[in-house]
Amino acid sequence: MTDTTTPHARIERTFDAPIDEVWRMWVEPSEFAAWYGPPGAEIPVCEMDVKEGGRRFVGMRMQGPDGEMQMWFVGAFVEITAPTRLVYTESLANADGDALSPEESGMPPGAPSDTQVTVELQAIDDDRTAVVVRHVGIPADSPGAMGWQMALDKLAAHLDD
Amino acid sequence: MPTTHRPTEPTTDLTTDALTDTFSALANPTRRAILARLSDGEATVNELARPFEMTLPAVSKHIAVLERAGLIERRRSGTTRPCVLARDRLRQAVEWAAALEIEWTARLDRLGDHLDARTASTSEVAATPVSDRSATPATPTTPARPTSPDERNPG
Repeated sequence: MTDTTTPHARIERTFDAPIDEVWRMWVEPSEFAAWYGPPGAEIPVCEMDVKEGGRRFVGMRMQGPDGEMQMWFVGAFVEITAPTRLVYTESLANADGDALSPEESGMPPGAPSDTQVTVELQAIDDDRTAVVVRHVGIPADSPGAMGWQMALDKLAAHLDD
Repeated sequence: MPTTHRPTEPTTDLTTDALTDTFSALANPTRRAILARLSDGEATVNELARPFEMTLPAVSKHIAVLERAGLIERRRSGTTRPCVLARDRLRQAVEWAAALEIEWTARLDRLGDHLDARTASTSEVAATPVSDRSATPATPTTPARPTSPDERNPG
């Protein structure tokens, strides 16, 4: 079981598609580009060297408040276990694929510059696949620390009073 | 004319990725225990050290990491300097995670739509046509779970 020890996003979803097909959505650039990004965004650049340590470079184009806006993300595949587990890192980048700090790229100060995404797939049956996506601010490699999310929830509740 | 996301003027007082420091500081059970204790109210280093089987300098070191990460502040009160939880930074970390969750929810909606569209076009060319699938609206993926073990959990 994967343990994330820092604040992270965790999304779980079931898709009406076989596991191999859902897997391809993540590792085939043309498929990935077809769904990734917020509504209305285009993915004109999607380069994936699908092997562990291989480079991943994604460019996004969308309408922002000041006209068209472009963003790039660069990173590397950390783990590729088809069709059940995919781990990759992601940082904001410039058009050349050089990682930027959040300030350099106009993101809110304080946004982590280095993030890691873990995608876990599980076949429910031949036609359905459960997917869990986790996105953490730094690679979550610290062992143990179970119940961290609960501790954070408790702290978050405290923040509201 | 496309406006690219261009470097803005460097901010002076903020490190490039302040929240990454925050996350690093949080990735330690002792430091989280210290924060949990401080969420109940301020405490001195001595008070914070009491529940831990470690030396005062060791605890002070953890406190220094938390202070550097912006998660706690030291207040001056007479001769002591009690530690106080810096709620803003922690809130920032929680909000960052919450914003990402919203983003991923939208992405996975699109992934579901994309998969549905593919299924629809595949069934059109299938040798044995399956009713009129393209006539049904592309419903967003329903979280159809066979059983939820949580439901059996008492309490």
